Amino acid sequence: MTKVLDLLDIQGNVIKAYGRFSFPCARYLLLRIHHGERGRAFVAAVARQVTTAVTWGDGPGQMPKPSATTNIAFTFAGLQALELPEASLRGFPPEFVMGMKARKAILGDNGPSDPEHWDPVWQGEQVHVFISINGQQPEYLEQRYQWLLGLIAQSEGGVSLLHGHCGDNGVADLPYQPAQALPENGKLTSKEHFGYTDGIGDPVFEGLPGPARRVEGRGKQTDKGWEPLATGEFILGHIDEAREYPPAPAPLSLARNGTYMVYRKLHENVGSFNDFLDREGSRYPGGREQLAAKFVGRWRDNGAPLADAPDTASKQDWDRRFAQAAPAEKDRMLSAFTFDHDADGAKCPFSAHVRRINPRASLQTTPGAFDTPGALANRRRILRRGLPYGEVRDQRRDDGNHGIIILMMQADIKRQFEFVQQQWINYGNDFRAGNDKEIILGNHDAEYPSRAVLPVAQDSDQAPYFLRNIPRLVETRGGDYFFVPSMTALRMISEGSVDPT
Amino acid sequence: MSNIAGKAYAMSVITPIRWYMAWINKLFFWIAQNRSSTLKGLITLSLIHYARWVVIGRRQFPHLHPQQPKEDLRYSYMLFFSNFNGSWDQYVDSFTFSIPSGLDLFWKWNIRYPNSVPLTPFHEYIRYNQIETTHYYSAYPLASSNDIKAAKKVRQALLDFETQSQQAPEQFMQGYQAMLRHVQNDLGDMRPTPIVSMAANQVEKRRRRDIRKEHERLAALREERKHA
Amino acid sequence: MPDKSGNVYALTILSPIRPGRLDEVAYADVVRSRLDAWNFLENSPMAKVPQTYLCRYFVLDDVFTQSLAGGDVFGPLFDFLSIFSDRARRRALPREDHLKSKYLVFSCNFHGDLDNYLRSMWLAAGNEIRHAWEFCYAFDQVRNADDFVAYMKKCRLKASLFFDGSNDDPLEEQLKALYLKQEFGKFVVEHQGLPAEQLQQAYREFIARAEPANLAGPSWHPGQYRLR
Repeated sequence: MTKVLDLLDIQGNVIKAYGRFSFPCARYLLLRIHHGERGRAFVAAVARQVTTAVTWGDGPGQMPKPSATTNIAFTFAGLQALELPEASLRGFPPEFVMGMKARKAILGDNGPSDPEHWDPVWQGEQVHVFISINGQQPEYLEQRYQWLLGLIAQSEGGVSLLHGHCGDNGVADLPYQPAQALPENGKLTSKEHFGYTDGIGDPVFEGLPGPARRVEGRGKQTDKGWEPLATGEFILGHIDEAREYPPAPAPLSLARNGTYMVYRKLHENVGSFNDFLDREGSRYPGGREQLAAKFVGRWRDNGAPLADAPDTASKQDWDRRFAQAAPAEKDRMLSAFTFDHDADGAKCPFSAHVRRINPRASLQTTPGAFDTPGALANRRRILRRGLPYGEVRDQRRDDGNHGIIILMMQADIKRQFEFVQQQWINYGNDFRAGNDKEIILGNHDAEYPSRAVLPVAQDSDQAPYFLRNIPRLVETRGGDYFFVPSMTALRMISEGSVDPT
Repeated sequence: MSNIAGKAYAMSVITPIRWYMAWINKLFFWIAQNRSSTLKGLITLSLIHYARWVVIGRRQFPHLHPQQPKEDLRYSYMLFFSNFNGSWDQYVDSFTFSIPSGLDLFWKWNIRYPNSVPLTPFHEYIRYNQIETTHYYSAYPLASSNDIKAAKKVRQALLDFETQSQQAPEQFMQGYQAMLRHVQNDLGDMRPTPIVSMAANQVEKRRRRDIRKEHERLAALREERKHA
Repeated sequence: MPDKSGNVYALTILSPIRPGRLDEVAYADVVRSRLDAWNFLENSPMAKVPQTYLCRYFVLDDVFTQSLAGGDVFGPLFDFLSIFSDRARRRALPREDHLKSKYLVFSCNFHGDLDNYLRSMWLAAGNEIRHAWEFCYAFDQVRNADDFVAYMKKCRLKASLFFDGSNDDPLEEQLKALYLKQEFGKFVVEHQGLPAEQLQQAYREFIARAEPANLAGPSWHPGQYRLR
């Protein structure tokens, strides 16, 4: 049976990565609620412009694509400020109640990533509301922003916009976090500042609109091939991979079709990255660009997966086929790979980004050992949204204003985001790699210098290559946990009519 | 109390089973012990140092002294002891994700066992019947079960290579590289474990603070004695 | 015998605690706080006991009455019978069971055979053992290692299934292997890319320093939780 989602009830950013729907620029706003009733009136006004997940089209009866989108989410403190009933509040999971800062020991946000170094907007008074605006053009973004400023002004002090996002030249007074797709040769790309293509392998789940073929490589690996993941892994009020409704606050209408969002501002140390790549690339037998591919598991130029194109020769062949392929086939070539023929990591290392965040079926090291091949990966998947921010003015420096804003959606922050961050990014035991961390995102520090192995095939005559003294390439500069309500729940929250009894 | 010793977590669970069903459980355990394929899932999970299941008949609780009252129980009990790596959630979740039928086979005969899928009732069942450890010791807090298995392989490789290491430099190099290929995925660095839970974080902080205080106290005492 | 898998032994001890009190603290709680105090020492007393891989201590106060919803092998049958008789329905509800004594539980995994292990446990940590077991029934008659072995055997429960997810090497071999894995890992990265001759020289020096075959040479010590 094909599941049909109520797309008019789900917020659009849950289902759509706007960047891929020609909304290349965004502003992320953080607000504080000072007065329950006026705060709810403000939320009601915003709710009327919130973009749903409905499929856009130009045909009769279809919703045309908007010029700008708006979405909204709340921290636990925000829901408290909006005066949700205590019984509903108590139904939220502990990690959401605590918020990201309090979870720093779990997340490995230490050293330069410690919350004390985060942008000023995250210091002091707690953030209550997140509002994102995405625009097809900068002017549409500005229009929508001005509209929102108007609503804030009309709230009579009910809500205020928090300033203190860090921008260029270390100045930290921005009233919003700007973000935009990066241009390359005058064309917008899906790349981030290290030069990798981002967000290729977003999970596909039951009910997600789109062609069925997209499930290949993005769903779950089963004995029968690729199948979509259960909806409840990403959206509350739907059955998940354990055949149950994800734990959620009462009443059902508050949780159903909502989800949790993790916001993280990640600064990219471009100078350290380039230095490291130069230093190791000059010694690594495969050369600098192949080394860059080993860090992530994909080649930087076109995203070719190492699992299918592990070296220069196979990459040339892959490129040739890719150039001739139709768009659907191109998409398949980028996503539909497995690690089934790479048990020892000779193609894609165990510490590479794509293998750490989604090991697919490769943790079942003995065929047939588990209930389903992807057993250990299927409940750790995350929908990834967001865009890069800032620009790199000097490739040799770390201290510019550049990084990515990553927004991650899932039904269970602890089981999904926190688990991946702790066990797979900052630790390596599941990959039988001791404490070795993920190369790009790992919280490497000088006290215990990190290393990673780039294995070679057993039948080759080469030696494995060991990376050493991996610098901290990415630093956390802010973030929190948000609840993304459905449209129904948003109206209930703004009317003050949430009733768990 | 602490269920955690470095990279190992001690889980102890005690669950009732009808005394006349205990034999069937023992039968399945016997089959599992004698047919290696039954435990393939457990081995592949590779999170466990050692685990055991002990079935206590309702009249088999140790009785040591005439003054000790004899237990008078309606049920027999199954004790499960596991030493595993990672957090409680990771362990319990990994089990239900990957070997749900194996879990059911071992626990099915216990009173009110809810099955391993869905997850929440299973979580509740384990939490409900789990006993916290007061003192837990590991001989290798810095190592996981995977580290120990990898270490054995590395040591063997070094011992085997001993004879080759005396050859001419070129042959040495070939042999050395072959040895590295053999152990390339067994050399992961070992360090203290990441904090597995906020509670563990608190315990660790308190422990460090207390150890520090104790050291300060002893230092002060020594200082006092010196002057005395 | 499922208590043993190769050379690793799974020891399960339940020692009944007497019902008395020390001042106003019940014996069982005194036992608990004595065990808890071990957590604040530099290392566990069990680190002194040769061949101990992992072990835990706790006090079992009582068994749990199953009140959560859950499945049951006999569920459908009881369900069916309860249509005809309310008595059958009630009989199908889980019963309440209670232990008459509290038990000190010691669960241990070690290398080697039981008698030797218990004997060396007594010799290595006799004071701590006496302290922990002091309030158990009949322990006052334990005066020497032989008594202790005999006592523990009376408290022992046999495992129905024992799973070894690690290996059964002697502890010194496991620790030596871990040391070598860590040191060789460092060696490999520090000497990567050296010409054959220099590498060979460095490797010889490494072997001379690390002594892979010599268990008495440099190694990790039991319970080591810091790297330096």
